[in-house]
Amino acid sequence: MMSPAAMTRRAAPVLACIGLLVVWQVASLALKNDSFPTAIEAIKAIPSILGDKESLVNILASLRRMAMGFGAAVLVSIPLGLLMGRSTAVAAFFNPLLMVIYPVPKAALMPIIMLWLGVGDITKTLVIFLGVSLPVIYHSFEGAKAVEEKMLWSGAAMGLSPPQRLVRIVLPAALPEILTGCRTGLVLALITMITSEMIARQSGAGNILFNALDMGQYDTVFAMIIIVGAMGICLDAIFERVRARLVRWSEPQFDMPLSFS
Amino acid sequence: MKARRNGRGSNDAPHGCENDSLSGRVLAKLVPLNLRASGTEDGMTVVSARSSEWVKPVTQQDPASAIIEIDRVSQVFQTSARKDHVALSDISLTIEEGAFVSILGPSGCGKSTLLYIVGGFVSPTSGAAKMKGQAITGPGPDRGPVFQEFALFPWKTVLGNVMYGPRQQGVRVTEAEAQSRALIEMVGLKGYENFYPKELSGGMKQRVALARTLAYHPEVLLMDEPFGALDAHTRTRLQNDLLDIWERDRKTVLFVTHSVDEAVFLSDKVVMMSKSPGRIRQVIDIDLPRPRRRNELLLDPRYQKYVVDIERMFDESDEAGAPA
Ligand SMILES: Nc1ncnc2c1ncn2[C@@H]1O[C@H](COP(=O)(O)OP(=O)(O)O)[C@@H](O)[C@H]1O
Ligand SMILES: [Mg+2]
Repeated sequence: MMSPAAMTRRAAPVLACIGLLVVWQVASLALKNDSFPTAIEAIKAIPSILGDKESLVNILASLRRMAMGFGAAVLVSIPLGLLMGRSTAVAAFFNPLLMVIYPVPKAALMPIIMLWLGVGDITKTLVIFLGVSLPVIYHSFEGAKAVEEKMLWSGAAMGLSPPQRLVRIVLPAALPEILTGCRTGLVLALITMITSEMIARQSGAGNILFNALDMGQYDTVFAMIIIVGAMGICLDAIFERVRARLVRWSEPQFDMPLSFS
Repeated sequence: MKARRNGRGSNDAPHGCENDSLSGRVLAKLVPLNLRASGTEDGMTVVSARSSEWVKPVTQQDPASAIIEIDRVSQVFQTSARKDHVALSDISLTIEEGAFVSILGPSGCGKSTLLYIVGGFVSPTSGAAKMKGQAITGPGPDRGPVFQEFALFPWKTVLGNVMYGPRQQGVRVTEAEAQSRALIEMVGLKGYENFYPKELSGGMKQRVALARTLAYHPEVLLMDEPFGALDAHTRTRLQNDLLDIWERDRKTVLFVTHSVDEAVFLSDKVVMMSKSPGRIRQVIDIDLPRPRRRNELLLDPRYQKYVVDIERMFDESDEAGAPA
């Protein structure tokens, strides 16, 4: 049996979604604008997109690029962030570079990257990679910096070498913070994925969306927005599950109240 | 066992359940050998109530061998105002094998710094520290630290924390686990093996930290105000339990504290330090019989005299050190 409070908590996200759709429906009916279909029209367009083989191939291609960009970014950024957090020399070298890259919208780099690498998968994956890297580096860096010195000393006294300490003490100790960065990175991966497909129009979920926009198929446009949004919610919820499992041991201050799980 | 418990009298009551676990059998597994050759057979008769052959009687100290030698160590820190701050000035100290030595002094006199130098975590600005004749160049499993901040690995359970050291030293899993479980029992945490540190109280965390350090059999325990963050009651219990464990094992202990009572109660030797710059004021031998029992000791005039004398010496130095 669930307590009433637990039930409310479970039902709240669903209610929020329904509320949003109702507001949308009412607003659309009131505005009577061609480019603003009603929620029901948009939802009706979803099955035809998901039933179409070509659309599905496009969406899966998007997801594949996103997974590759995200995965590569995480694999590179976590070690880099941890090293920066534990070595002032490494931090001094990379900090200025990151400071330059940080405020630049990654999509703004795309035309140049396209010039070098073409409009294919590599360019788009690279942009996703860049988008994901910064928050993951930043959070890994902060997490590694915050590792209690005495914990490392305890490890050193047991005979752990500096590289062992990085992998076996700094990494797990910083994990809650690292995963916070990865979660931000995941949302950014979705955003940069769509943006990259908007700039390099060739395939993908973003391409479907903007093609439909060009052709004035507004119900498809909004249906795609719903699909992308739903993908975001699902990915985030899955990630949050995994994260919660991995850091069961951590103090509650790392619990994130903002969650769709 | 029985005789011992009777001997402790009413003081047993509050933590009787924990002491039950401190059985000789458990300890025999944990502390298999006394590394020193000095655990003589007649030691058994002196403390026959405690069936532990490795107890070394304090009363008949052999020509003690130095295990740690601190030779004219100074430590200067750069403060943020770019001024030099002399934390330790010309410290020389020899610690004998098997001794319980406390470093006592006001906050900021460099006690922790001195301990960190012995641990190899900090290298001194000048001078040198030696362990068994070898210059200390870094941390090592022969010197096990226990910090005031516990510094447990929060992602590991109690058992995982205690097993960490033995596993690192290449002890097989089954063996490391058996040893660790026995140690956890010894520090009174049986039943908590699968708890994470966040689920434990401060006193329990410090027990885990002690067990984690004992698990890799360091020759010297380096304890930096280990009970400083605990409430008075928990603190007393841990002091008693530490003495219980130590009186069987007789590891060398270097124990930092700012509590006069704690230093006198636990130690063979109290090193009094003064502040600005950190220096050794005096080294006092505490000639009180062991095993020590808190309820007996508090009534013992010799104990009281040590406490009062040491407190008076600190008061005098405060007056002397007050700015004119
Ligand atoms: N890393 C450091 N940098 C600068 N000053 C330090 C550092 N560590 C300790 N000190 C200073 O050295 C003095 C002694 O510190 P500490 O050994 O921690 O004293 P205690 O443990 O006796 O309280 C203090 O004045 C402290 O401010
Ligand atoms: Mg200190």
